[in-house]
Amino acid sequence: MNTTIKNRVGDQTTSFSTDSRRGFLRGMFVSVAAASVLAPIKLKADDAAILEEAEWGVKLGYPTNKHPYGIPSPYEHNNVRRVTELLSSGDMYASVAMSPLHEQEGIITPNGLFFNRSHGGTAVVDPDKYRLMIHGLVEKPLVLTLAQLKRYPSESRIHFIECPANGSTGWRGPQFNNLQFMKGMMSSAEWTGVKLSVVLADLGLKPKAKWMLAEGSDNSEMGRTIPIEKVLDDAMLVWGQNGEALRPDQGYPVRLLVPGWEGNLNVKWLKRLEFGEEPWHAKEETSKYTMLQPSGKGIRFFWPMEVNSIITSPCPEKPWTDLKKGDMVEIQGLAWSGQGTIKAVDLSLDGGKNWQEISLKGLILPKSWTRFSYMMKWEGKPLLLSSRAIDDAGNVQPTINQEVAKVGVESVYHRNSICTWEVKANGEVNNVHVRG
Amino acid sequence: MFMSEVKIPVIGTLLALSIAVSSAMAGDKIQKNVDGALIYPIKNNSYQGYAVNPQKTNGFNHGRAPTTAEIKAWDIDVMPDGTGLPEGKGSVEQGDELYTAQCAMCHGDFGMGGKGYPTLSGGEGTLKNQLVNPEAGDEPPSRTIGSYWPYASTLYWYVQSAMPFPNPKSLTNDETYALVAYMLSINEIQIDGEDLDDDYVLDRAKFLKIKMPNEDGFYPEVNGDVGSKEMSKYLNNADNFGQGTRCMKDCGDTPIVKIAYELNDFHPTPSTAKGLPKEKEGEEISEAQKIYEATCSACHANAAIGAPVVGDKEAWDTLLKEKGIEEIYKNGIDGINAMPPKGGNMDLSDEKTKIVIDYMIQAK
Repeated sequence: MNTTIKNRVGDQTTSFSTDSRRGFLRGMFVSVAAASVLAPIKLKADDAAILEEAEWGVKLGYPTNKHPYGIPSPYEHNNVRRVTELLSSGDMYASVAMSPLHEQEGIITPNGLFFNRSHGGTAVVDPDKYRLMIHGLVEKPLVLTLAQLKRYPSESRIHFIECPANGSTGWRGPQFNNLQFMKGMMSSAEWTGVKLSVVLADLGLKPKAKWMLAEGSDNSEMGRTIPIEKVLDDAMLVWGQNGEALRPDQGYPVRLLVPGWEGNLNVKWLKRLEFGEEPWHAKEETSKYTMLQPSGKGIRFFWPMEVNSIITSPCPEKPWTDLKKGDMVEIQGLAWSGQGTIKAVDLSLDGGKNWQEISLKGLILPKSWTRFSYMMKWEGKPLLLSSRAIDDAGNVQPTINQEVAKVGVESVYHRNSICTWEVKANGEVNNVHVRG
Repeated sequence: MFMSEVKIPVIGTLLALSIAVSSAMAGDKIQKNVDGALIYPIKNNSYQGYAVNPQKTNGFNHGRAPTTAEIKAWDIDVMPDGTGLPEGKGSVEQGDELYTAQCAMCHGDFGMGGKGYPTLSGGEGTLKNQLVNPEAGDEPPSRTIGSYWPYASTLYWYVQSAMPFPNPKSLTNDETYALVAYMLSINEIQIDGEDLDDDYVLDRAKFLKIKMPNEDGFYPEVNGDVGSKEMSKYLNNADNFGQGTRCMKDCGDTPIVKIAYELNDFHPTPSTAKGLPKEKEGEEISEAQKIYEATCSACHANAAIGAPVVGDKEAWDTLLKEKGIEEIYKNGIDGINAMPPKGGNMDLSDEKTKIVIDYMIQAK
């Protein structure tokens, strides 16, 4: 028996190139169909994965105390964040690790796969030495320890965080042929913390306070100016991410959460909040995170992430090359808006000539990823799949032409135009642009 | 009503076993399942998410007031009107020396960039550039301190709090003034009509007279009484930045542009395979390598920075001949130029630092 198992395992490890696996699956479908007609003859194509005892079923698994902190299956080793030097300014410290959106399910990103943009590396903050200072135009300036901050009443909210440079390599044309690098500068989590308005209610904002500076304690002292209207609406001081402490990459032990707004405004390793009468014009409000327009003038601040969507299945990493003609298949993806709640998603099968409204699925929450879904029969004919999101603030995702006509191609940030996948007759999927 | 919404036969069968009860929540008839649990009706496919505790949430007395010294220590931001700008002074020449020693390895000579890090100078007259067609000779805009930054206050604040990149918060006020003076001079910015020559000494009073060339290059206005009003107008109208239209039929031509130059420098190499990678023998990571990766690789893994690159035998051999191992150890422990002592990792003992240096010299 053991020999058989070893052989089976041996076969498995050697047959793991994608193509041979697909070939194997196709063979299996055929044999199942044949079996229903010709049963009960035993066929050569009987699946060894069923007929032979599985290796993991004939010995003890690993003990419950092996991983005090659980880890993913070793077989998921390719479900990881990835980097490219192109999106790193000189090194891997002022850089971004892209989230593998093609492997994500639902609307929550596992903490280890959350995209990570930092401006001076990931700070590892000692929680016992953590202090948050709130000062400036408040009646009662405040210093809090982490434990004191956590004494405030908490709320948990699901929100995406997206870097405004997400998709920025597409301004001039398509360049990446994968979902991870096209749209992987975003992720989503359930964040737990206290609303800033709750903390401020006791501190007493002075009437002249119009702006807040949020500053991180990391190497880069990343800081941004935020208008008081947003601070008092839904901004939060968060310490929890998907049921556990924030990961260092996400600002452990405390980050600012500014739901729906540019990722960098959600300042990590938060150290200081100062209230003032004038905006600060911090370093990330100059050559970065401003939007240069064809007029030669720059949009000074651009806070919310606009309505957007992307089809995540199929995508270049998850093609339809294993499908047979006539197979039912689900097209699904993510829609989101930093200015509201997703109201509808339209799908085009012909690159945007004709559209139909399709279903949303799962939780539909404000400033949150929202899943959409459409079932269709695959006929092995080329398609151009595009999705278009609409939010309840009245925003409709623009075409590439509509967006470029307004902001040109040198804005760097806030590219939210419609994305299109070319699905070839053989099921391969490529990134293409509908433009011109 | 609920029954009519059920389309899947197997659930229909289940419901046949369930009992109708009246719901206290909405008065709707809802069903109980075989286990006694409620079966909830789905209405308009919508799901109302968050409940909120409506109790009053003020009256907290956590924490304490910061002391004056504490605020002074942390509140080092500098605003365009000069709020927060400390006293100090430094000359262009001093700035040049500091720049050469601590900045040029990343930002290039005279701020010309070219090593992956931001370019700091040049770019005048390029802001209207749109790189649409490189073959037609289109050039991108260059957003530098001189061509783009609206306020010099940002420059002072940035350098003082976050530079040099591997060793931030290490410059004195005078050194920051000198570096700012140098960076303004390489951008040919005048102060009060005066060129910033080598012997020009920048101080607080002169700093407050700086007007950056592109100060008026941004909108919407946010300073002064305007506050966020103009921003609100801008952001509330998606026509400003690309509003779509919800055309459903015959929406026009759809010319397709395919990838012309595919970018594929990705790490790790993309794959969706599940099979386990073959274990490689002898790849145990040494402690020295771990320390190197955490502390030293920011500079020593990148040929552009000018520090000897790990794996570059020739560079290290030259250094060993020039200085000898003891001086290399000493520089590693005490720091040299832009490199902080022990690469900034003060937890390292001298002995550990030497072991890491040995690793860096010997690594292939």
